[in-house]
Amino acid sequence: MRLAERYARVSRFPSGFIWVAAVRHGNSGEMQQREEKQLEAATESLISRVAHLKNALQSFIYKLEHEYERLTWPSVLDNFALLSGQLNTINKLLKNEKTPSFRNQVIIPLLLSPDRDEDLAKLTEQRVPVFSHEIVPDHLRTKPDPEVEEQEKQVNAEAARIGPDVAQKQIQTLNKLCSNLLEKLNNPREDRDSENAAMRQNKQSFNPADTNALVAAVGFGKNLSNTMQTKCRPPGPVAPGHPGQGPMMTGGPTLQQVTIGGTPSHQGAIGGPVAPQQPGQPGRGVGRKREARVEYAGLGRKWMFIRCWRV
Amino acid sequence: MEAPPVTVMPVTGGAINMMEYLLQGSVLDQALESLLHRLRGLCDNMEPETFADHEMVHLLKGQQGQPFLLRARHSLSSPTDPWHLRYLGQPEVGDKSRHALVRNCVDVATSQSLPDFLNEMGFRMDHEFVAKGHIFRKGSMKVVVSKLWRVLVPGNTENTEPLSLSYLVELSVLAPAGQDNVSEDMRSFAEQLKPLVHLEKIDPKKHT
Repeated sequence: MRLAERYARVSRFPSGFIWVAAVRHGNSGEMQQREEKQLEAATESLISRVAHLKNALQSFIYKLEHEYERLTWPSVLDNFALLSGQLNTINKLLKNEKTPSFRNQVIIPLLLSPDRDEDLAKLTEQRVPVFSHEIVPDHLRTKPDPEVEEQEKQVNAEAARIGPDVAQKQIQTLNKLCSNLLEKLNNPREDRDSENAAMRQNKQSFNPADTNALVAAVGFGKNLSNTMQTKCRPPGPVAPGHPGQGPMMTGGPTLQQVTIGGTPSHQGAIGGPVAPQQPGQPGRGVGRKREARVEYAGLGRKWMFIRCWRV
Repeated sequence: MEAPPVTVMPVTGGAINMMEYLLQGSVLDQALESLLHRLRGLCDNMEPETFADHEMVHLLKGQQGQPFLLRARHSLSSPTDPWHLRYLGQPEVGDKSRHALVRNCVDVATSQSLPDFLNEMGFRMDHEFVAKGHIFRKGSMKVVVSKLWRVLVPGNTENTEPLSLSYLVELSVLAPAGQDNVSEDMRSFAEQLKPLVHLEKIDPKKHT
């Protein structure tokens, strides 16, 4: 697009290469000097603050690009907090009464040349090597982008449309929400915990009985022993009053806990000759059957076969 | 071959005597998601690891007193991994102020023929279960959230049913004996999981 149009889009002043400077309304020489001094001081401090911000941004970007594997969320939050603090100080500086209004000042490019300017390059850390026609519209612009301007106009129209009372009510609601939230966050932990505990009574996230059951299961196999044993208990010609029973019952406490109902199913293995009442797991097969065979040989093989089949 | 209490004669064998510090708790199925989220935030940043293990507990009954317990564990999700044999001693009855359950622990990796070997040695399988869940790590602390499944037909790990509606949460650290700051660290970590889960030391002998 033509250069003149470009200038017209980015500046509030009429297009063309002749720019009118904003005139300070007839002040005396003294006041002019004082204002100049103020302007200079304000510009200096603004430059230093912006330099701080630039450094903070630079280090943050470096960290994000090179150390992202080791970066933790709290340190990212710290960086953002630093940037926000610096922006805040810049804002405060601009709002300061001692700062003259920068809007009244105009920057006029006095000389544009396509040649490389070493001083400028050094000043701007090689970012602006040439002060030419291309960089001036971007660096000296006073208006926002056309799209942004459109959006700003829309938002302003919306704000004007809803009327002052509705706007006031919305502001009040927002303030109330913020203060509620702040209060909740600032209150001491105990207050919060007590009301939360009351709220959580009906939404228990763990069951102590389950905890005990699980720990017992993992610790010594409570309720985990094979269900086959309880099913395969023969109506047993084997007398319950077997003399071997006595010592079996008093075998360590862990053994009794292992089986459901406390029936001495495993304890047949303690003493070889003492026969088990139940056949036990088929996996253990061989040893057991051998014992049984020894014991009941007297009863006849037929009974014994029946017993094995029940297994 | 009796298991003596650990304070009298720790298991030696030329290696450092390792103790397991343990805190246990449970969480209902509904609250599992929030617990996993919290653990993912609190623990070291690694890919969430799930596991499915089949554990068999073998007993060797001596002539007198307590039987000797050995735990054989193998992974159902990666069957070629070595089996894991573990001995856990009796909980140390030190001072009551210690916050975690401390017991002697010996871990050995073995080949696939472990159950047969134990059978030949004279051990009998007492009970077995399947544990499936997630494992997290924070420094040297290990958090295991697992659901226990009862094996209905012995030896058949396909046919299982859940033991309860909760997941078991265990916080454990393996450390040499005598380091009490470990239990302090565990306690502060357990504080961060409240009130979702209450991790505490539960004496396994005290069954309710």
